[in-house]
Amino acid sequence: MTRPGWLLEPSGVIEYHRANEAMHELADRRLEDDVPDSLVLLEHPPVFTAGRTSKPDHAVWDEDRFRATGAEVRHIDRGGSFTFHGPGQLVGYPIVDLGSRPDAIGYIRNLEEVVIRAAADLGIPLHRSPVQTGVWSGDRKVCAIGVRIKRMRVTLHGFAINCTTDLSWFDAIVPCGLASTGVTSLSALSGRAVTIRELSPLVRARFSEVFAMAFVSAPATETARFVGAVANVS
Amino acid sequence: MANVVMPQLGETVLEGTVVRWLKQEGERITLDEPLFEISTDKVDTEVPSPAEGVLERILVAEGQTVPVGTELAIVGTGESAAGEALSEEVPRMAAPAESATEVPAIPAAPAAPVASAPLGTSAAAEVPTPPPAPAVPESVSDDAGTEAGERLPDRGPRSAILSPVVRRLAREHDVDLARVRGTGPGGRITRHDVEGAIVVGNVPPDGESAALSAPEAAPAIAAEPPPVAQAPPSAVTPVASVSTPAAPSSNEPAVTRPEAPVVANEDEEVQPLSHLRRAIAGHMLQSTQTAARAWTLVEVDMERIVRLRERVKEAFAAREGFKLTYMPFVTRATNEALLEFPMVNAELRGQDLILRRHVHMGIAVSIDGGLIVPVVRNGDEMNLVGLARAIDDLATRARGKQLQPDEVHGSTFSITNPGAYGSLSSLPIINQPNSAILSFDAIEKRPVVVDDAIAIRHRVYLSMSWDHRVIDGAMATLFLTRVKEHLETWDWDEDLDHG
Repeated sequence: MTRPGWLLEPSGVIEYHRANEAMHELADRRLEDDVPDSLVLLEHPPVFTAGRTSKPDHAVWDEDRFRATGAEVRHIDRGGSFTFHGPGQLVGYPIVDLGSRPDAIGYIRNLEEVVIRAAADLGIPLHRSPVQTGVWSGDRKVCAIGVRIKRMRVTLHGFAINCTTDLSWFDAIVPCGLASTGVTSLSALSGRAVTIRELSPLVRARFSEVFAMAFVSAPATETARFVGAVANVS
Repeated sequence: MANVVMPQLGETVLEGTVVRWLKQEGERITLDEPLFEISTDKVDTEVPSPAEGVLERILVAEGQTVPVGTELAIVGTGESAAGEALSEEVPRMAAPAESATEVPAIPAAPAAPVASAPLGTSAAAEVPTPPPAPAVPESVSDDAGTEAGERLPDRGPRSAILSPVVRRLAREHDVDLARVRGTGPGGRITRHDVEGAIVVGNVPPDGESAALSAPEAAPAIAAEPPPVAQAPPSAVTPVASVSTPAAPSSNEPAVTRPEAPVVANEDEEVQPLSHLRRAIAGHMLQSTQTAARAWTLVEVDMERIVRLRERVKEAFAAREGFKLTYMPFVTRATNEALLEFPMVNAELRGQDLILRRHVHMGIAVSIDGGLIVPVVRNGDEMNLVGLARAIDDLATRARGKQLQPDEVHGSTFSITNPGAYGSLSSLPIINQPNSAILSFDAIEKRPVVVDDAIAIRHRVYLSMSWDHRVIDGAMATLFLTRVKEHLETWDWDEDLDHG
């Protein structure tokens, strides 16, 4: 049984706080059943986000040094620890109503499945870790996942896949508090540039498949909320 | 009045952590207004209040991890006395119905035995093993289970829902699930129930549960006076009072599984395991469950090396910028012996032995909150100074948390050096998938017989834990004797001259 869903792909590089706000608004409206399930795919400028379980020792640098690199630091309300978003990373924010008996872990496994299948389409074998959420190649993480479930129903935040990400950004943090594991990207793994543009349609198709969702483009006004309506209209 | 319980956020989810209470005791709350946040794996979930009223009592403090179905709070009309509410709830709190051993995230392990594991004392051996007991007295757990089930959203006949763990366990032990009485929410069969059935049916539990049971019981026995530990849950004093932010729990020793809510007395402090601690716990426990560990000890005369080091240490520190320790000496001697005894440097992989022509030496380094074992790659190609540089570099970066992931993988053998802290001898746990680990303890002056006279010499006990699946006693002893010979007779000057 396939449900209709909105696909939002705001173009350009989207400021974190803008996207975060628009995502929360979308989730609020999803709770009211004003909007259908949605998938937002976008790219952020450099930003370090700290989830609820982040501890000071998960960051190698202090916040001033983070900011000195030109990146933002944001403390946010998702599960998980520190992570990095930035150029060359495909970020996905699914806003999905999990129903009145949400299977949070099943949802996470499905997100992982989407990424594993999309990477397989590119000939890159990825896998889950028996102990840690995310999608991996060996002991290196390609895709970070962190989620919040609003009112025990609607999902917020999501996944971040390193496509052509400059991995040296991750030197500043211990990703997700895992001291003994590293980070990699689809480009590093395949030896060629795998861009967001190349990966997006694959993620879209696999998400549609795994979540049994038929995407339609969201109204332009909805996508514009992520970009900043004023700037876009003028 | 409504009871707020830890919701089940998925078939395989057995526990959750209360991250934050969004209301305080005494505050009014409306139906569906967010009441608290829980965390499971990488998911934070905002949980709405099941009823309108007043948050009368919070039973589980922020930061606590408790099984699904555990009573977390009471939302009442605000008129009933808090004391009444509590006394009514106690029997229920006492039986967290579902506390199976498998967590989807990190394989957890009991804290107490693990803390001592890296240095080799086996807590399991020192603690009396309690008799296997069914998880929870049946009558109590049954009641609690039914009530928890009623409070949980209905998803059909719960007794028919079986987790993968339960199915696997039942299959492995030929347990007829139709004959197992479920104590989980709504009469659901939990792992606990199946394990109980296995014990009752005299089927020997598998290696995992057998090995887990002894160390698991240890903290419970240590933490509680025996009479309380034996008391039925309904008689438990309400430890989860307002002043003590403790999780509700069963007091049956056999129930004290790694994920069971922690019982803390007023003079105790609950500290959740860090990621590092959990990783160490899993790794160490896995090793003790994998290797057929045996242990051999030799004594080495370190007089020449101590004198040599005294002679060169200042010049060395001035030239290299760090102190010359004994570790490079021991590592050099061990590397050389490993090339001669490839079985000690081997790995058992399935039914095959993997032999190597190189040595990747794991060096146990103590860091904040745990230990890490960085690897000196191809250490057999390095002389004393090269090893000293490599070890200093890895240890320094390990303490600064700057190691790269591939620098802590791929060791073929490991050395631990508790002697730096003064130990006389240690029984280390093998760093899997290695086949052996060498322990280098404190160097001290001892009276020894040399040429029928008593002399004072610097001596050290050098010992090795080894996997009897791969190595035999004769080989282990010959290997250690070879390391000893190298340490006592090697011409180190040549190494130092060609640093």
